[in-house]
This record gives sequence, structure tokens and C-alpha cells, in this order.
Amino acid sequence: MAGSDTVSVKNLTKSFFDPNGKKAIIFENVTFNLPAGAVLRLSGASGSGKTTFMNVLSALTKPDSGSVFFGGTDVARLKEGEKDRFRAENIGYIFQTFNLLSPFSVIENVYAPLAFAGRLPQDFKEKALISLQKVGMESFAAQKPYHLSVGQKQRVAIARVLFADPKIILADEPTASLDKNSSELVKNTLLELNKKGTTLVLTSHDPIFDDIRPDIDFNLETGALS
Amino acid sequence: MKYVFILKAVFHSISHRKFSVFTSIFAISAAFAFLAAIGCVSFGLAATAVNSSLAFPLIVGPAGASDTTLVMSTLFNTDKPAGTLDYEFAGKLASDERVAAVFSVARSDSYQGVPITGVESAYINEISKGFWDIDPMIDAKDIFGGKNSDCAVIGAKAAMRYDMSVWDTFFGSHGTVGDEDAHVHDFKYKVCAILKPLNGPEDFAIFTSLKSVWEIHRHGHHQHHHEDAEDEEHDHEHHEAEHEEHEHHHEHGEESADGKITAVLVKTKNPVFTAALEREYSENGFTSATDTGRTVRKLMSYMNKAEEAAGFFSYGTLFLVMILVFVTILTSINERKREMALMRTLGIGRFPISLMIFLELFIISIAGIVIGTFGGHLLLAFCKPAIDFELGINLEPFFFTEVEIRGIILTLAAGIFLSTAAMIKIYRTNLVEEIARE
Repeated sequence: MAGSDTVSVKNLTKSFFDPNGKKAIIFENVTFNLPAGAVLRLSGASGSGKTTFMNVLSALTKPDSGSVFFGGTDVARLKEGEKDRFRAENIGYIFQTFNLLSPFSVIENVYAPLAFAGRLPQDFKEKALISLQKVGMESFAAQKPYHLSVGQKQRVAIARVLFADPKIILADEPTASLDKNSSELVKNTLLELNKKGTTLVLTSHDPIFDDIRPDIDFNLETGALS
Repeated sequence: MKYVFILKAVFHSISHRKFSVFTSIFAISAAFAFLAAIGCVSFGLAATAVNSSLAFPLIVGPAGASDTTLVMSTLFNTDKPAGTLDYEFAGKLASDERVAAVFSVARSDSYQGVPITGVESAYINEISKGFWDIDPMIDAKDIFGGKNSDCAVIGAKAAMRYDMSVWDTFFGSHGTVGDEDAHVHDFKYKVCAILKPLNGPEDFAIFTSLKSVWEIHRHGHHQHHHEDAEDEEHDHEHHEAEHEEHEHHHEHGEESADGKITAVLVKTKNPVFTAALEREYSENGFTSATDTGRTVRKLMSYMNKAEEAAGFFSYGTLFLVMILVFVTILTSINERKREMALMRTLGIGRFPISLMIFLELFIISIAGIVIGTFGGHLLLAFCKPAIDFELGINLEPFFFTEVEIRGIILTLAAGIFLSTAAMIKIYRTNLVEEIARE
């Protein structure tokens, strides 16, 4: 029996119909267990389905068949509201770009997901500032995202993850458009969180992550799991 | 906190689409301002008409005058009289035991577009609610008595508009309001009194004595005759000159010749007598008569139809505007799909996101309604003096009519319906999959 924070993927299959109406299988009958604090690396060429796999894991996209269990619950079978709560409480997303919500200030972006979920802690502003401090962005707390550079935006996204302290981090090309310093900061923060027991699902072509030894490597191009 | 965030997102989105939001709100506001104008103007007209119709239940004029001409030319001073009656006729009418009082009126001149009407002191006593100012040498109860035939009593708003005070003098234009060939004559009027506001067309009128009207006519007639004569050959036959004179008189059919009046306003002792007198004086071949209340009601029903028709045009415009706003919001949703998809990945539910779209459209609708309604009424209040004067009514700028209230309800309903439609569209869309497919 897998532990309560283990991600168990069973016979997961997902396909799309291309514009010509032809069925394209993205992944088929994928099965694995990802224990808490493990690293799953998704590899494969662009368009091979890495982001789709992440979306299925986080219950944003429904699989054709199969299950994704987290803490004994099949997240794909949850009701919409429960899926939203599941994501807000357990998942931290970091994308290549477009990580921040433009209506909100930097600090609001940090605590927005928990605010929408109605789960803000008492001292949320202080905690959010501490998270920003860790990524060197505390002086930008009141600014709107459009005033920030791509690297600064990515740091705020990391601060958001630090603030929410999720059980799983889905990092989709998190350093693709960053300079070396920012990339190092992102990598180190992710590894630090992983060491504390956060499960890391990573997709990246950046050589900076080459020294990370994943527990599972899933190549979506070939379908091979190792 | 959740709802503060939702509102923040909504206002951010609104403030980032200033032009389209401004255009949408302006379009809704304009339609509502129009509805407000229709309502207030028609209410002002109706209130004025009803007030006036209560004062004089019967109007008797020359044969051939229609009901509306009699009402419009005597009570509202907006139509030319159809002809004249002998002044003695008013005396005969007064001796009828069914009649409580008669008031002769003779339309003649105008001053800068304000009609000048010849009346007797009794008429002023009948309509007056007191004077703002009056020459202390004049008997307020017999204002045109004695040698005061050149006296002019000015309606409150006409006095304000032309800054007229007691003892001022002015010259009228010969020919009534709207006459293209009206010309200034040399009869000098003297302002003897200024009436307090009556909330009726009398506020925009000038009253003078019947005698002055006849005197002006004599003078004007003589002057015209003299000018005409210069143009004609001296050997014209007498009957030809008479013919010319008749033609000229016909052209100025509304003028009150010596001893002539244009209508008699009658107060009857009983409403039954009003109907009987109307029938008698309509069927005798010499005069026309109309029941003022009935004619005003008839005019009002036409006006109501016009108001409703204008209202429906406004509703149609509002409907098109709402569709435009809806399409604008849908376009903006497409532009913001990525942001909404990001919200979903962060665990922000479909309901808060859909609610944002609902509120956006709803706030635009409400802003349009509020700005249009209050802006429209404020604009009417600002333009009230000009509208009152031009239309001869007492505009009620803050009166809400049924047409307007119906417009508000319909627009709110359309706003809620369209907002809900947009909300459902977003709720049912899997934004993340859509973005993935793109």
C-alpha cells in the first residue's frame, strides 16, 4: 500500500483527435508509484505531451482511462470543486512563462491561490513577505506583474510555491527563459523543497537540471519509464 | 477575502479595457438619458396641459376652428387662431345662465418669440397667483383699467428670460409667433406687473389689454394700407383696393381687428352645461366650441403614443447596445483565456472565474443605467430653463416615468441574462484544455 502522499498512476491513457479527426495517443497504460519527496522527470521533444501529462496529474485534464491516486483518492474522479481544492491545497505550478495574474500585486499573487480557496493563514501577509524575501523580491511586493522582468516573475512564482508549501510541485520548463542566476535560484529552491519532502515533477531541457537524478524518468516520446 | 480578490480582478479587467468599457457605458447611458428626456418632457407637457384644461372647461372660437386649434392657440399660445369673433359675442355668451364667467382673448403680437395676448383685467385676476412685482400706481384688481391700456403683464419666465422689470418698455412685432413677415411696430408697451409662476404656458406669455390689441391693429392696418397704396397705381378701383385689403386681412387671419377677439374662454356652472354649450356653439354655423378637458385628453393620448413609440426605439437601441457589450466581453474573455487557465491551475475554481465575468458585464450595465439615468436627469435640470422656454412647458427634471422605469428593469434583466450566459459559457469551458489545444 502506497503512503498517504504517494502519487499512484495506474493504466493512465490520454489521446487527442488532431484537426483531421485522427486519434493521436499521447500516453498509454502508464503505471507507476511516486513516493512523497521523489522526483519524476518528464522528457521528450516539444509537443510529445509532457504538459498534458502534468495536467492529468493535477486533475486539470481528464484521462481517457486509468487513475491518478493521491492519498488514496482518485483525483480524476473528483467533482470540479473538489479538484480545485485539491490543486489549491496540494499542487504548486511553475510554468515557463505567464505565471502571474495581472490584476494582482506581487504579494497578492503569492497568496491569491489560498485566498481563493479560503485557506489563508492568520499572518498571511508576513508569511508572503518572507517567501518573497527568500527569492529576493520583497521590495517588489506592492508592484504589479507588468513592471517585472521575466526572471523576476519566475521568482515570484517560486515565492508562491514557497508560501503554499504544496505536497507536489509541477515545474514545466521553469528556467527556459531565465538568466543563469535566476535559473540557479529556481533550481536550488526546488531542490530545497524536494529535500523537505515535496514531490517534484519536472520537465526541462535546461542542462542546469542534468545533475538531478530522478526517481522516475518518463520519456513521453518513446513511452519508456525508467 | 475571496470576494475582495474577485472584485479586484473585475475592476482590473474593466480598467484595462477603458475604451471599450467607456464606449459600452456611454452607449447605455445615452439610451437612458434619451429615455429620461422622453419621460420628463412628456410629463411636463401633460402636467401643463392638465393644469390649463382645468381652468377653462370650454373654449369658443370662430367657425371652422378645430378643437386642437382652439386649445393650442388660446391655452398654449402655440398655434395661430383660425379667425376672429366680435367682442359683443363674449357679452352675449356671458348672459347665458349656464355660464359662470367668460374671458375674451385676442392674439396679436409677439415680443422676441413670446406671444402677446390681449385680455381683460378679469382674466389676469382669474389666472394670477399674485405678482412678483407690480407698479404701485396700478390697481392690481383692474390692471388694464382706466388709462392703462398700454400696460403689459409679463409671465414669470418670460420676464426672467428677457430680464424685464416693472416700468420697462418694449415694442412688439406685428404678427404672431412664427410669422415670417412679422415686423416691429412703434406701439410702446409698458411693463406694469410681473406674474408669479403659474407652472403653465402663461409663464411664457405677455398679456396686454384688448384695447391695445385693437389700437395696434388699427395702426398696423393703416401702415400696411399706406405701404400697399404706394405700390399700387393711383387709379385703382375702390373695390380692387377693398379686395387687396381683404386678402391682406386673410393672410393675417389670426390678427384681432378692431373690436374683434380670437376666442372666448368660458367657465361653466356645471360640467353638463359644458357639453350642452359645446354642442350648441359648434352647430350654429358661426362659431366653434370645444370641451377643453376632452381635447386635452385626446392630445395627451396622441402624446402618450408618441412617448411609447420613442420608448420602444430606445428599448431597441438598448437591446443592440447590450448585445454589443456582450460581444465585447466575449472578445475580452478570449483575450484573457490564458489568465483564466492559469487561475484554474492555481486551484481557483470555475465559479469564482465565471462570477468575475458575470460581475464585469453586470457592473458595466449598472454603470450605464446609473450614469445615464442620473446624468440624463441632471442634464435636463441644467437645460430646464431653455427647454421650458422653447417648449412652453414646466419640465420636471427629476420625474421618473413608467417608460424609464420599464427601461431600467428591461436593461437589468438583459444585463443579468447576458451576464449569466457569459458566466455559463466560461463555467462550461475547460480553459486548460482549450489553451493546450491552441
